[in-house]
Amino acid sequence: MRNDTTEKSKLEEDLLDLVAEEGMIDRASLQRDALMADLNIASADFIMILMAIEEKYGIYISVDNEMADLKTIQDLLTAASKKIREKEQG
Amino acid sequence: MTNARVVITGVGAFSPCGYGVDALWSSARDGVSAARTVQFETVPNQHVKTAANIPDALFNAHSSNFKHRFQDRVTGFALIAADEAVTQAGLTPDDFGDDCAVIVGSGFGGADTLDVNYLAYANANVRMDPMSIPKIMTNAAASWISMTYGARGPVYCNSTACSSSSQSIGLAYLLLRSGAIKRCITGGTEACVVGGVFRAWEVLRVLSPDFCRPFSRDRNGMLLGEGAGILVLETLESAQERGATILAEIAGYGTTSDAGDLLRPDFRGAASAMSKAMTDAGLSAGQVGYANAHGTGTVANDISETKAMREVFGDSFDSLAVSSTKPVHGHALGAAGALETIITMNSLIHQLAPPSVNYTTLDPAIGFEPVQGEARPIQTGFCLSNSFAFGGVNASLILGHASRL
Repeated sequence: MRNDTTEKSKLEEDLLDLVAEEGMIDRASLQRDALMADLNIASADFIMILMAIEEKYGIYISVDNEMADLKTIQDLLTAASKKIREKEQG
Repeated sequence: MTNARVVITGVGAFSPCGYGVDALWSSARDGVSAARTVQFETVPNQHVKTAANIPDALFNAHSSNFKHRFQDRVTGFALIAADEAVTQAGLTPDDFGDDCAVIVGSGFGGADTLDVNYLAYANANVRMDPMSIPKIMTNAAASWISMTYGARGPVYCNSTACSSSSQSIGLAYLLLRSGAIKRCITGGTEACVVGGVFRAWEVLRVLSPDFCRPFSRDRNGMLLGEGAGILVLETLESAQERGATILAEIAGYGTTSDAGDLLRPDFRGAASAMSKAMTDAGLSAGQVGYANAHGTGTVANDISETKAMREVFGDSFDSLAVSSTKPVHGHALGAAGALETIITMNSLIHQLAPPSVNYTTLDPAIGFEPVQGEARPIQTGFCLSNSFAFGGVNASLILGHASRL
């Protein structure tokens, strides 16, 4: 269980790095509870983030209702890591 | 401005459903999807495996006498559809000349030639196709149609992504109504299911990884398609003089732009295009019986389009039959509006609203269910076809039943 939690947080930390780079946001100031809208992450930035996820994890995520409804950085981390784990297991 | 009435006297379609309008209409009516498994050798990192393509065997079977060295398949598709439309309209050599325009749109133009030559051009030992430019240029199909028939009136190629062909038909309608021309070969063509373009759509994250299900809560993207839809439009007077069979009337047209976001649709732009088409046709909300939606199956389009339809149709929206036929023939981009106008015309003629196949569950953000299962009988004199494009380009066409003329 502990290992799972560690892996989970490692994945989310890696994703945070990726969001910071693709969204061109200072990593140190990237708070998990920040609203993506407040960080000026627009639809085009979001597509770049999904592209980077494909390059890093080899999975394809299209924009569905789940992805479209994300509000905060944590929402994005939770949804993306869920899909990454689903693909890795499936 | 003469305000001439504008009618359809011939239609042609070459689509993933097969050769001809009958194949397109029967597939849409019966809900038979032309989605196929596609694998591109040139795309090693391809994730999505489905598209509604026109297989080589189908194209080759109908293009043996074409000038392949000078024509990309995008032109071939258009010539096949134009032949069917012109034959049905019964146009003779005397009917072309400078009173006949050609207005045929395309989003990508010669995508296959472009793709092949991109892969070749860096290699000095491989000869680039010397005909690349005339094969790739977006207006090639329109010009080949004008050359084939001797149509010497104005030629236009409208390239506004997914609204290309709806706007082409709309522009033809406006020129005919103004008295500038007597007849027009119009529509759109697209031959985009090639490695490079497919991958480009994939990385935009709008292709469904499994299946296209417009308006469903779990929708996750579109099905890429291709093909050509061509219509012969003429003034009512011209059609009557020739004794042509009139298939339907173009009763109204509206086009607007969002002037907002390049990719994210604004429902106000879509609503305004539909409203203008309704006003142009002189209709009230309850008079339209079926709407062939743009219905791409992307999250954003389907919400925006529904919101727009609710605004335009108000209380009548609940009784309006709505479906998207894109899960059947795919999203043919620059040919989508023409193929869907041809389906919409058949809906009007046969008084049947084709189903939205693959529909699963109600999306609370959308709040209505499209026609599902079997085609739904309708009783109406008017049907609507919508096209909304990246770039914020909105176009709505309203067709009227020929019996009203």
